[in-house]
Amino acid sequence: MKLAHFAVALAIAATPAAALAGESSGGLTLGSKAPQATTKMKNIDGKQLSIADVAGKAGTLVIFTCNHCPFAKDWEQRIVELANGYTARGIGAVLINANNPDMHPEDGYAEMQTRAKSRGMKVPYVVDETSAVAKAFGASVTPEAFLFDKSGKLVYHGAIDDNRKQPDKVQARYLKDALDAVLAGKAPPVAETKSLGCGIKFRS
Amino acid sequence: MLPAVAAARFAVAAGLLAAQPAPASVPAPAPVAVTVAGPAAILDAVKAPGATAVLVNVWATWCEPCREEMPDLVRFYREHRGKGLRLVTVSVDDEDQAATVGRVLASAGLDGKAFIKTGGDAAFIDSLDPKWRGAIPATFLFDGKGTRRHSWLGAVTYQALRSRVGELLSAPDKKPSKK
Repeated sequence: MKLAHFAVALAIAATPAAALAGESSGGLTLGSKAPQATTKMKNIDGKQLSIADVAGKAGTLVIFTCNHCPFAKDWEQRIVELANGYTARGIGAVLINANNPDMHPEDGYAEMQTRAKSRGMKVPYVVDETSAVAKAFGASVTPEAFLFDKSGKLVYHGAIDDNRKQPDKVQARYLKDALDAVLAGKAPPVAETKSLGCGIKFRS
Repeated sequence: MLPAVAAARFAVAAGLLAAQPAPASVPAPAPVAVTVAGPAAILDAVKAPGATAVLVNVWATWCEPCREEMPDLVRFYREHRGKGLRLVTVSVDDEDQAATVGRVLASAGLDGKAFIKTGGDAAFIDSLDPKWRGAIPATFLFDGKGTRRHSWLGAVTYQALRSRVGELLSAPDKKPSKK
């Protein structure tokens, strides 16, 4: 665990009651701690990792994504660049696949390993084997980002940016702006956004 | 997936095309006209006079859950369009896929107003239901005055449609229940 006080904050939020208290129909509410923070998930390197394990001293980024979804694919390179780049600046990051691979074999573990390697992913890409973490977050779509500040509070929830198909025409870099704000100790300029995406194929 | 392959798979999944190619003497249905539009035009189609209930289905040709729900949607729509049910389909495929979307809808046996969504996601999402986070498929029920009465965030079934839409069609002047 990288940072004791952040881990304590996350651990407090690991109880179901705490998780439920922070949820709304639209997902985890701003200011909430990360639920299921100590739940271990299998990384593409075979190790078991939790959100608390990857927490950064400056903040923690959790993105629910997958392999098969065209929306996730369109944003994939930008997700990897942000996760890789900001990890080097003190942000902990983890990408979580909560999809049932029985519905989309492309979302299977071996395919995750292949995808991570081909995209140059340097951050953990883990399997939410019961979808419990995604459900606790109230995540419903891929990709969907949750950014916690250094105190462990949710300060940004939503989309990567405002143009999935044309990276060169992005006008609002929601997640990047939020990451920069967290590094500067400030509130993100936009705290909640939405984007179209694939519904998470929860495991029952 | 190639659009043509996606279209064929969609039509088969919708139960309206056999897995085998149709005989050459059977013409393919004429493609449905698809308009690329933003939320204002889509809501105009929802609120246009003449309907007792309006279903807005948000889907994509490559979306398997969308294909899986389509037979129920088609069946319900066909059974109730004579009773004042309007169907508005909104594809979130790329804007240059209008021809493919039109072919897929026609093959599935659907008609009605068909759109491909354009513009920003957030405005589109909130125009249909502010509680929706944007996951597809999603289907929204409006009454004849354009007031949203129900949202299915995920695939719909015939039974679910019958329960909610049937009630509206049989009591068109009923006020929305307060929750």
